[in-house]
Amino acid sequence: MTGLPPLPIHGYLTVSALLFAIGLFGVFVKRNAIAVLLGVELMLNAANLNFVAFWRYGGAARMEGQVFAVVVITVAAAEVAIALAIVLNIYRRFKTVNVDQINLMKG
Amino acid sequence: MLGGFELYLIPGLPLLAFLLIAAFALQPKAERAAPAFIISALLGSLLLSIQAFASTAGKRPFSISLPWLSVGSITLHVGVLLDHLSGVMLIVVSAVSLLVQIYSIGYMRGEIGYGRYFAYMSLFCGSMLGLVISDNLVQTYIFWELVGICSYLLIGFWYRRPAAAAAAKKAFVVTRFGDLGFLTALLILSFQRHQVFGFDQLQHLVTAGRIAPAVVTAVALLIFSGAVGKSAQFPLHIWLPDAMEGPTPVSALIHAATMVAAGVYLVARAYFFFTPPALFVVALIGALTCFLAATMGVAENDIKRVLAYSTISQLGLMMLGLGVGGYAAGVFHLTTHAFFKALLFLTAGSVIHAVHANNIWQMGGLGRRMPITALTCLVGALALAGVFPLSGFWSKDEILTATWFSRLPGHSLFFLAALGGVVLTAFYMFRLWFVTFTGEPRTDEAAHAHESPLVMTLPLLAFALLAAVAGGLKARVPWTAVGFAELLHLEGQREVVSPVVIALSLLAAFAGIGLAWAAYRAGLVSSAAFNSRFPAVYQLLKNAWYFNRGWELFATRVVIAGSSLAAWFDRHIVNGMVDGVAWLSGWASRRLRVTQTGQLQFYALVLIAGLIAGLVVVFGREESLLSLLVGGP
Amino acid sequence: MIADLLRALHTGSFWYPLAFFFFAAGVLLPALLVVLSRNLLHCALWLLPCLASVAGLFLLLGAELLAAIQILVYCGGIVVLILFAIMLTRGLGDPDVRAINQQLLWGFAGAAAFAGLVLHMLSRESWPAVAAVNRGDITGRLADALLSPYLLAFELSSVILLVAMVGAVVIARPERE
Repeated sequence: MTGLPPLPIHGYLTVSALLFAIGLFGVFVKRNAIAVLLGVELMLNAANLNFVAFWRYGGAARMEGQVFAVVVITVAAAEVAIALAIVLNIYRRFKTVNVDQINLMKG
Repeated sequence: MLGGFELYLIPGLPLLAFLLIAAFALQPKAERAAPAFIISALLGSLLLSIQAFASTAGKRPFSISLPWLSVGSITLHVGVLLDHLSGVMLIVVSAVSLLVQIYSIGYMRGEIGYGRYFAYMSLFCGSMLGLVISDNLVQTYIFWELVGICSYLLIGFWYRRPAAAAAAKKAFVVTRFGDLGFLTALLILSFQRHQVFGFDQLQHLVTAGRIAPAVVTAVALLIFSGAVGKSAQFPLHIWLPDAMEGPTPVSALIHAATMVAAGVYLVARAYFFFTPPALFVVALIGALTCFLAATMGVAENDIKRVLAYSTISQLGLMMLGLGVGGYAAGVFHLTTHAFFKALLFLTAGSVIHAVHANNIWQMGGLGRRMPITALTCLVGALALAGVFPLSGFWSKDEILTATWFSRLPGHSLFFLAALGGVVLTAFYMFRLWFVTFTGEPRTDEAAHAHESPLVMTLPLLAFALLAAVAGGLKARVPWTAVGFAELLHLEGQREVVSPVVIALSLLAAFAGIGLAWAAYRAGLVSSAAFNSRFPAVYQLLKNAWYFNRGWELFATRVVIAGSSLAAWFDRHIVNGMVDGVAWLSGWASRRLRVTQTGQLQFYALVLIAGLIAGLVVVFGREESLLSLLVGGP
Repeated sequence: MIADLLRALHTGSFWYPLAFFFFAAGVLLPALLVVLSRNLLHCALWLLPCLASVAGLFLLLGAELLAAIQILVYCGGIVVLILFAIMLTRGLGDPDVRAINQQLLWGFAGAAAFAGLVLHMLSRESWPAVAAVNRGDITGRLADALLSPYLLAFELSSVILLVAMVGAVVIARPERE
């Protein structure tokens, strides 16, 4: 491809910002631990979108943007695995997956 | 003129003897060698002192001063000052020390701690000589404290006796009271613009008016307070009678001839500080002490305690002499007193040694059995009473004359007090002599007493000789006109001879002696009758004017009250502050704990809130985000 | 043919914005449903169209390999994993339990404030863009970049995956009796 897309970058950045905010909202507000994890995934994707957008609108000459996005996806996969393992552990221990009922660190 | 090194040896030899005795002669096997060290050291010191004094004739004072310690802007020095005053004092101290040590060989024979005794004595002699020869106030203070320690060690020599240990402690604590004043004087001097402590430097400053008169008087009074403690003046005299718990040679040397005279010596050394108000205080306390102590000596039955009160009284007389401007008179009396008081103590020791008792009512008739002791004691008693032509007459007379003719306010009262002191002194001294040496023995011990060995009687004879002829220091040609003042190289001291004063003092002395003879030898006057007719007076004198009780009340009421206040302050305010900090931490943490909800999502919210706040603050002012991030225009 | 379609998508100034809005809506609306659904399973499932639309946006931006990776890994792997976890932790839960916690108000405020702030900051920028020059296939260039100079990152990410795998097994293991 050549040239610039016929859309200013603001579009992508706006989508990314809104997606991030939605994910943030999910992290703040959902009770189920897995639902919180879904919010985190949304935030990660927002970040990825940002990276690739800047890659494209920055000339697409240097590949750092995409490389970073690849690494982010990889680490996100790893992180989901670990997080779910932890959720399983918590479920076994506390018999609940509600985040607000797990407050041993209180005080 | 001596080079400096010989002067350092004068205190140095006895100090060296101390180290050697402490290193080699403390074991029972080696103890017998101990006196050899100190006596040879004192011989050396005496010879050097005589040579030093001889070299001062007609010359300016000689001093060497080496810088020793510098802290900030103050430099302390180590040095020696040799002038007529220190020269005379050196000879007196070395001579008396030497004779007393010889006497001690006999007196302390067989005692446990023989070596320890001579070690402490050596330390004392070195410290006293060091005090005399010091050229600055700080060094004097250091030696001052050293002699105080030696006094403590020697009073409490028989430390297993509770009375001795208590007396040593009392001596140290009471003199500490006075030393506090001395230290304060040093501190005041260190805050002056010229931070010097040397005697000649200070003298220049004072006479040139570089120090404010109020400060000079304050310093003088504070130095005098140190002298009040050390020389057992009213009101800090309470320690000296108790100090008689120590061995008699100790009483003779330290508490009669030398250490207690250090206070008088200090006043003489620092005389240039003493403005007329300060001199008045000195004279007042001296006169008061002289009279009061003499009254206390009348009611004592312990032979050493009588002599102790006598010492206090005579020291008061010396202070009176200095206070009324009779500088030479005061120092002269210090010299003669050293000789005859040491003599009296040593004779008392001889008697105690023979009879194994201190109470005069357990003696009697010892004149026949201990003739040398009795005779030398008589010489000493006559000297103390001030009978012509013995030394005591000349020096006492000079002080009385100076008081009579001085322009100090109240000098006539002081004269009367001193004269009263003379009467009482003669009285109690001869009461002691008559009861001890005449009449019939009152106990078996007294009946079987025998004369002391030669090693003890020789010093007695030597002292008796000195006590007799030391008056000649005044009368010898060509010094007749000016007397002792010439010896001290003081110009401009007008020598006054007053027949009235001479007559009065001799009259007072004979009155006292006569009264004592009447009461205790001839049985014409009964002391028992007197005591029953004036019981209040008797009680007052017997309890030494209740001074001990007074100080005890002060310590338990006043001091403890103050301490309780301080303790309350420490417990509630100082501790309170520390506890308060701890309480504050607890309170704050209880308040802040609400933020630790343990809720993960709450923490996330706070995190983002902080991030938003940060972003607003950092980027709020900027137009372009990129320019901030990238850094370029 | 697909390449032609893609080429048309890249250059056509009508289709491009349309596709963009389509995918943008495909991202944001399912995302809203992810966070707002009561049923957890629905939440997870709505993630699929969301992530797929993100892949679409990647395509629009010309990152074809990345779009493929996105679909394979995220939609195919991660969502499945989440579904498994949901299945393993349900059953004993109370169906009437609330899905939203106490922080609704402040959570919304926080997220809205964040969005507002970022959008405000973005709008003030001019974002100078650089036109791309055709240098050959993206995939090849991405592969080159991953193998050098970012080889270390590449290798480390594989190590991370290994570690995560082992770690997940260890953490999720039932406790020994």
